[in-house]
Amino acid sequence: MATIRSHARVQRNADDVWKVVGDPTRIVQWFPGVTAATVEGNIRTLTLAAGLPVFEEIVTLDHRMRRFQYRITGPLPVKYHLGTMDVIEDGEPGCLLLYSTEISPDPMAFVLDGVISEGIGNLARMLNDHTEDER
Amino acid sequence: MGRKILFITTDQMRYDAIGANGGNVARTPNIDSFAANGISYDRAQPQNVVCMPSRSTMVTGQNVGTHGVWMNGVPLPVESPSVAAVLRDAGYRTALIGKSHFEPLLDPFLRFEENQQGFTGATEGHRGFDHMELATHGAAGFTHYSRGIRTNHPEAIGMFFQVLDGDLEVSDVPGGDTGAPQIKRNAVPRDWYHTDWVADRTISWLDGLNADDDWFCWMSFPDPHHPWDPPESELHRVNWRDLDLPAGYPQNQAEREAIIDSKPRHWRLWYDGQLVSNYEAPGKWVPATLTADQILEVNAMTHIENELIDEAIGRVLAAIDAKGWSDDLDIVFTTDHGEFQGDFGFLFKGPYHVDSLMRLPLIWRPAPSAGGGIDATARVSKPVGLLDLAPTFCTIAGVQPPDWMEGRPLPIDDADAHARGFERVTTEWDSRQPDGTEIHLRTIMRDNFVCTTYQPGTVHDGTEGELYDLALDPLQQINLWDDPDRRSLRDELLIDLAAHFVEPREFRHAEAPV
Repeated sequence: MATIRSHARVQRNADDVWKVVGDPTRIVQWFPGVTAATVEGNIRTLTLAAGLPVFEEIVTLDHRMRRFQYRITGPLPVKYHLGTMDVIEDGEPGCLLLYSTEISPDPMAFVLDGVISEGIGNLARMLNDHTEDER
Repeated sequence: MGRKILFITTDQMRYDAIGANGGNVARTPNIDSFAANGISYDRAQPQNVVCMPSRSTMVTGQNVGTHGVWMNGVPLPVESPSVAAVLRDAGYRTALIGKSHFEPLLDPFLRFEENQQGFTGATEGHRGFDHMELATHGAAGFTHYSRGIRTNHPEAIGMFFQVLDGDLEVSDVPGGDTGAPQIKRNAVPRDWYHTDWVADRTISWLDGLNADDDWFCWMSFPDPHHPWDPPESELHRVNWRDLDLPAGYPQNQAEREAIIDSKPRHWRLWYDGQLVSNYEAPGKWVPATLTADQILEVNAMTHIENELIDEAIGRVLAAIDAKGWSDDLDIVFTTDHGEFQGDFGFLFKGPYHVDSLMRLPLIWRPAPSAGGGIDATARVSKPVGLLDLAPTFCTIAGVQPPDWMEGRPLPIDDADAHARGFERVTTEWDSRQPDGTEIHLRTIMRDNFVCTTYQPGTVHDGTEGELYDLALDPLQQINLWDDPDRRSLRDELLIDLAAHFVEPREFRHAEAPV
């Protein structure tokens, strides 16, 4: 099992950031290679740029804690996965965006580490530039 | 009208693979003809012994520490300098056909340009190449070759060896007659196989050029890199039962293991299956289980793949000749790194800086029309590196090599090498695995000695090393690192290494395991 983590400071208040992070369909705005996202019940289905689907189970969508957790269930070759996004008010201006992942098999950590880092960067830029409403 | 440049690379080929370098199994008459009419380099080394760092050195002419691709999975930034861009700016038409691997291949989110082009079939290239048509070791992934197989011959997808297993690890599934890892009988017809595809697409690109165009074509064969799954129709070429075991394979187990034990401890840990030092070899495979017959069968498959490459090269040369370009054609032939092929009881590659992985075939056949006092039958014994290729291409094209290139134009003979100070070549290894395993090697080759020092990691404490006298011990079986009589030599080599090695400025994120 591999553990990876990415973070970014965002110069927006936590409620504004959570409006994006807390809406699982808005991942298409900031996550590389995701062209579509739909949610039915607790199942999120992504479509990747190559046309591949990714099926995910939404584990936690806690608006009070501003925490989103999900598991990849297929068809990526994942044996165990838990992704956690936290939007944290830490007393500083803006807020902290934290994206943690536990994953097995280990080689998938390389793949997700790079794409999540890029995604978090995209998300922070989008929020800092106030372009998130241009949907 | 200037000189045309055909840059031919293979992937994971040993120095002794070809006839011109003493190979006596694979028939390689076309490659041998380059040596008969050109300059052979007997001590050419990569700056890193895995694909992405080594290929990044080829295209940039830079040390690993400068271009920053310090292990497989770390992409070469798109804005990195490229010799292809220099040549294009000088008026050359430029193409890369076959395996590029400047960017990760395992890319489910399709983040990287080369994979995007392979997925859509676009061929406009990048990094200074006007045209790219890409391939790798089979029908998987987002390459132009795999797209063609999926579209035109979907029944062939399952014929190739599946490189990754269900755990996304490099597969160790056995096959062939001997149960060697990564051997598969591949029913794919020869003309669907990637070796012939690379030649076909090269000829097609050349056909689209004007007669008076100057051009630079990097024709990059994915073989003989594992998996060893050449077309089954070609297996008659070499019967593994007829081969001799490699000189680098001590057949006596106790002798073999004593040699391994004289090297830094990761050698023995890998041999016993107690350490996965890198992703490039199957993580579940235990080298100690490798049998002599398996070594022979892997070697037979490799020889077959090398013969197919040579024949594919012959077809491209015939096409070039038919266009009347042969007199103005420079050919450079090499590979990105070597392969154990049974030496010391190992297959594949990793943080092991011995000739199996570091000594490469390199031949430059200058354009016959170039003249200029080149002795076109020279053998250069002085050390050169793959970082010297890019400035060589510039020189052929009549362009001053840019300052950002760290190599120098290849010497044309030993006198030229001596005059221009080709005294040493350095090679490095850095790796970090998801489980935290870190290994770091720094190697210098000069004066017929190979000296490797290990930086602190999770396996080494920084005191370990290897020192080999290539004149007395060409198989590198006697590690002189701790020999008190060689202490001053060792110290001198380490001082020279420190003075000439370019340390990485940063370790950028790996974006994929490969």
